[in-house]
Amino acid sequence: MTAADRHSRLLYWAGVALGPIAWGINLQGVYVLAHFSCEQTRISGAIMSAVLAIVALAGTVISARAVQRGAGAEWTDAQGGGPRTFMAWLGVGSGVLFALVIANQFAASLMISPCLR
Amino acid sequence: MSIAAEPNDLRDDVLNGLQLSTQLERVWRTPSGWMGALMAVDHKVVGRRYIVTAFVFLLLGGILAVLMRVQLAGPEKTFLSADKYNQVFTMHGSTMMFLFAVPVMEAFAVYLVPLMVGTRNIAFPRLNAFSYWMFLFGGCFLWISFLFNVGPDVGWFSYVPLSSLQFTPTKRADVWAQMITFTEVAALAVAVEIVVTVFKLRAPGMTLDRIPLFVWAMLVTAFLVMFAMPSIMVASTSLILDRLVNTRFYDSSSGGHPLLWQHLFWFFGHPEVYIIFIPGTGMVSAILATFARRPVIGYPVVILSLIATGFLSFGLWVHHMFVTGLPQLGAALFTASSMLIAVPSGLQIFCWLATLWDGRPVYRTPLLFVIGFIVIFVLGGLSGVMVASVPIDTQVHDTYFVVAHFHYVLIGGAVFPLIGAVYYWFPKIAGRMLSERLGRWNFWLAFIGFNVAFFPMHILGLIGMPRRVYTYTADMDWAHLNLLSSGGALIFALSFALLLVNVIYSLRKGELAGDNPWDASTLEWATSSPPPPQNFDRIPVVKHRDPLWADSESLPVVAGLSAERREVLLTSLAEAEPQIREASPEPSIWPLLAAIATTIFFIGSIFTPWAVLWGTPPMAVTLIGWFWPTGSKEDEE
Repeated sequence: MTAADRHSRLLYWAGVALGPIAWGINLQGVYVLAHFSCEQTRISGAIMSAVLAIVALAGTVISARAVQRGAGAEWTDAQGGGPRTFMAWLGVGSGVLFALVIANQFAASLMISPCLR
Repeated sequence: MSIAAEPNDLRDDVLNGLQLSTQLERVWRTPSGWMGALMAVDHKVVGRRYIVTAFVFLLLGGILAVLMRVQLAGPEKTFLSADKYNQVFTMHGSTMMFLFAVPVMEAFAVYLVPLMVGTRNIAFPRLNAFSYWMFLFGGCFLWISFLFNVGPDVGWFSYVPLSSLQFTPTKRADVWAQMITFTEVAALAVAVEIVVTVFKLRAPGMTLDRIPLFVWAMLVTAFLVMFAMPSIMVASTSLILDRLVNTRFYDSSSGGHPLLWQHLFWFFGHPEVYIIFIPGTGMVSAILATFARRPVIGYPVVILSLIATGFLSFGLWVHHMFVTGLPQLGAALFTASSMLIAVPSGLQIFCWLATLWDGRPVYRTPLLFVIGFIVIFVLGGLSGVMVASVPIDTQVHDTYFVVAHFHYVLIGGAVFPLIGAVYYWFPKIAGRMLSERLGRWNFWLAFIGFNVAFFPMHILGLIGMPRRVYTYTADMDWAHLNLLSSGGALIFALSFALLLVNVIYSLRKGELAGDNPWDASTLEWATSSPPPPQNFDRIPVVKHRDPLWADSESLPVVAGLSAERREVLLTSLAEAEPQIREASPEPSIWPLLAAIATTIFFIGSIFTPWAVLWGTPPMAVTLIGWFWPTGSKEDEE
């Protein structure tokens, strides 16, 4: 496998993985930050969610570029056999999905008091 | 394609035709006799047992449903006492959810996934056998308890404080909780096997975008099982601890909280609906492609929808708890996510309709059940959107409206595709076709019976009939609709009796099926019906998403696997490139012994905490026996 191949494979995985990783960090982060948010900065949870939503969307962008670069035509091909393009589309979908979920948590952190027990 | 050979190792590339088949059958066959049956690790043998056992539980759960409908057919009937009715509806729900719906879907996966991905056995075949025994013992434990009047009577979700020691001092709640542990262990084991089989045992060339949609559905389901079921195992174990050793997880007077139970239960319980529904969608996609005579439109869209549905299913659980006094804002967020999940489900429905529209549909029995599924599931989805809204849910919570809704979703979304799947895959499993004439009767009785039984329940709920009441007075004006519903239930039950008759008749006298009676496109139809012990004489090479439609004459194969011991080919995750040959375990009695030891441990531990102490060594012994090197060829590498 050439260095370019390795780089390209890494990007495909990055596109797929960034969304779920960002969401996982956000989910755990809001629990970790709850006490701090209540005592210090009320919007710290919202800031973290906003940043991580952008990270998830970065996954979408990486994957969308891979689709553009690669074999967009394979998308409509019933034969299959273009797993990287498939993964890239998976990355586009998962980035948007996880960004939406993080946005939901972002909205919640703006509306619900972190001191609420 | 050929794999490099080692010296003195008989490979399948030096044998051909009958010689190869005979040799592989000798290596892969399940030993004969009682002992052989108890040692079986062939995924087809275990899968068949799983399917038959799950259908026996369906029959038992169905009989209980009929008993309930007889009791409710008129006002103030005394056919069942209040206590017996409590046990009957709890047993019905628990049996259908934990002993039928989830296991039967996994059972079909155990049988079909290895065939569909073109390998010779499931990953971890002994764990698979262990899983079946655990499921069987757990189901028997529940039903034997019921026959001895210790059947659970606290509802299929066993809410605290009703199920606490204070309000249920008998062992009934413990039986329910430990049955959960049995079935979840079994389900988790199968989930792990499915994931590894799909990720590592696919035929060369079956890249991620060539995996059959049914296999994708089972893969997503397996992940759901792995993330959802630990929650209910924690819940049931902590309930047993509360009842046995006076921990206080759910006791608010000691710092616990009853709502913790509801959160833990529904964090599992809502994905559970999708654990049942998503395999149904996989079955629909498989059947639809075959009978519409074209691939499902929007293959990647369907897969993304499956994944999105699976993920979103973990964000809805609180909609089961709208009336528990949660903050309104939280409830509003869960309403939004509950409605959001309709989007991927809707996308799949549109893909299926487009496939039918663009195809040349052949209306055989499996396709009739798929069309029945679409109609009923869409109706269930509509009432689902209604109860996702807090004001409506507050009005109809715990009424027959909810009973109608979830039966539309679960029977429409899972049982109709499942019966379609029985008609579709029976020829592969049994080698004979089911009767088409009986099948059509079966479908129309089921479709009409189901709607007559469950549609009136919407109205009953709206006019105020609560669920789980064992009788009602004549002045409530519920009698006519209840009678209608009971009549529909009997017709629905008759449809299942007809299915049973069809299966028994066709097993003996059905038309011989041949390898591919439906001219389907996926790999399970590339082998004989029923498949030989080794599944395929040579592992197929996949070059198309619909391999049998693309290479109808001769499927390319890979050669070089051992012909004198059980061996499977491992391939890479995304590209399915051949990586390594791997030994596959031989038949063994240890999974059964381990399941017996675990059963003794589980049952003992609802009576005494000391069972944890004396129950562990036998389990340890069986596990040591299970993994002890035997010097057989499977241990050499």
